[in-house]
Amino acid sequence: MVSIDAAQLSTRELNIKLNALVEDNQDVKIINPRARHNVVVGILKKCQITVEGSLGYYCASLLDGPTVCIEGNSGWALGENLMNGVIRLSKDAGASVGASMRGGEIFVGRNAGARAGISMKGGTLIIKGNAGFLTGFMMQKGTIIVCGDVGDAVGDSMYEGVIYVGGKITSLGNDAKIANPTQTELSVIDKKLKKNNIAGSYKFKKIISEKKLYHFDKLERLEKSAI
Amino acid sequence: MVRRTSQIFSPWVIQDIHAKSDLGRYRIRGFSSFQDVTHFDDLTFLSTGLTRFPLEGYKEQCNTQTVIGSLNAKNPLILDTPIYITGMSYGALSVNAKTALGKAASLVGTASCTGDGGMLPSERKASNKLIYQVLPSRYGFNPHHLKKAQAIEIVVGQGAKPGTGGMLMGIKVLDNISEMRDLPKGIDQRSPARHPDWLGPDDLAMKIEQLREATNWTVPIHVKLGACRVSDDVKLAAKAGADAIVVDSMLAGTGASSEILLDHSGIPTVPAIVLAREALREIGLNGKVHLIASGGIRSGADAAKALALGADAVAIGLSALIALNCNREIPGSNFMKEMGVPAGECSHCHTGKCPVGIATQDENLTKRLDPDEGAERVANFLNAMTMEMSLLTRSLGKGDVHSLEPEDLAALTIEASAMAQVPLVGTNKIFGQS
Repeated sequence: MVSIDAAQLSTRELNIKLNALVEDNQDVKIINPRARHNVVVGILKKCQITVEGSLGYYCASLLDGPTVCIEGNSGWALGENLMNGVIRLSKDAGASVGASMRGGEIFVGRNAGARAGISMKGGTLIIKGNAGFLTGFMMQKGTIIVCGDVGDAVGDSMYEGVIYVGGKITSLGNDAKIANPTQTELSVIDKKLKKNNIAGSYKFKKIISEKKLYHFDKLERLEKSAI
Repeated sequence: MVRRTSQIFSPWVIQDIHAKSDLGRYRIRGFSSFQDVTHFDDLTFLSTGLTRFPLEGYKEQCNTQTVIGSLNAKNPLILDTPIYITGMSYGALSVNAKTALGKAASLVGTASCTGDGGMLPSERKASNKLIYQVLPSRYGFNPHHLKKAQAIEIVVGQGAKPGTGGMLMGIKVLDNISEMRDLPKGIDQRSPARHPDWLGPDDLAMKIEQLREATNWTVPIHVKLGACRVSDDVKLAAKAGADAIVVDSMLAGTGASSEILLDHSGIPTVPAIVLAREALREIGLNGKVHLIASGGIRSGADAAKALALGADAVAIGLSALIALNCNREIPGSNFMKEMGVPAGECSHCHTGKCPVGIATQDENLTKRLDPDEGAERVANFLNAMTMEMSLLTRSLGKGDVHSLEPEDLAALTIEASAMAQVPLVGTNKIFGQS
């Protein structure tokens, strides 16, 4: 594994070095990231990247393939638009973690801010602690597992996908409803938690779309004749 | 004067109230605003006489090459004409329409743009210079496609429906569209209005840096605004680091919008350009951050006037679709029978039953549009517009369309004088100036 000390590097210099090492099929460790934004962005191949320290906005975003382990906290939109790969964050995530992710897995070791999994289109987002308001807002596909509590309006305007909550639900969002998870679903959750070294017995509630917002319920004369 | 019918409750208003009382929801349609507002027809060029010499149309060159996004990008967009094709989604438009637009752009050396719903492979193949939109919905957004784009456009809003997201009725959300957008088949899609990963201008600056890092600082990043609070929005977008700003006016077209937004939000193109130009000038970025105007641009005259007012380029949408045969009877079509209105009065793109194969996902209707023939028509139209611009520019004694300036224009109405900040014809007075 090759180390990059980011302390004296600009974001541009850091990403250029990182991309060159990844192209050379090296595993990379970044030290002293100093919570900067836009680190580990747009990497589209399998590789192993470790970050020792906290990161800012949009870190580990627009990825397809890498495994990124971050020992620290992250700012907004960690793992944004992840196509495939794994992101493991040891501490807290800011707002919009996993925004529009389409595949892969994101694990948050502590709590996540507002709008976790917003516009999610696939993959799995696991939050060991609590998640903020509008978790799963306008979610389209994929799975969110929150072991702790969720804030207001969970699952608001979600299309498809599933949110599992192990703790307290402050309130459901518009067009979201609570359903009973099946045994098969619970065993899948259990496996995913064990894989991420989460022990404990949770009574997961399942949140899905009520699908009442899918259609305008009326058409006007011209639309009726045309459609 | 006493009218024979009510000015306030006109036949159209009565019909509108009846329709909404039947429906219980807002009305939806496509096309463009039906508001009667000040536009480029209210301005005229002051061509040469004895004070300047015209250039000869047959002998002397008029430059139309346009560079967009040279502030930060290693590879700015270099276009052979200052006119390109704006973002319109695969979903709102058929595969043949999107492919034709991409081919047309390549034929004349300009760019086309993806729109909501992702990058269509046939459009990518057809278009040599493709602008990839980053929309609030992120439908079909893919970093692999991002890296293949020649420019990136972050969409904050669009002129036809500022402050809201896109709309695609269920009849168009068929297999391929639902798959590309990760949406359930057949839903009436109402796209998000806010981006999932950023909210304000401070966040936008970081988002722009993210896209630059992901594309190695090679391509320009545009920010598209629905023209409303233009002055402040343009300053904020420029300070956030945009290479170019697209100001999309209330006259811009759409495949589907609530009618109330189409007709009752945003400002016209003429004042939008002037406000944007002055905003960039105030912060010292005029000419550095490029300005692109869109909304209701129908001819080379409109485009030339937009450049004279301060735009660096213009983008066309609805005009390109009309060039593709929108609202024209073609072999196989019957607008009255299929749409309930004659060709020329159709604004029913949202129904998905476009009789000329443009705004549809119906396989049989799509076949009515041949992409090669369509591309040729749009390329012809773009060439005609560019020639019109050159003709006007030469008549003003100038050899570069980018040399057009407000001093070349006069206003035909007091309103146009105030909005364009040029003198009213026959006077030296610019209305609205103290």
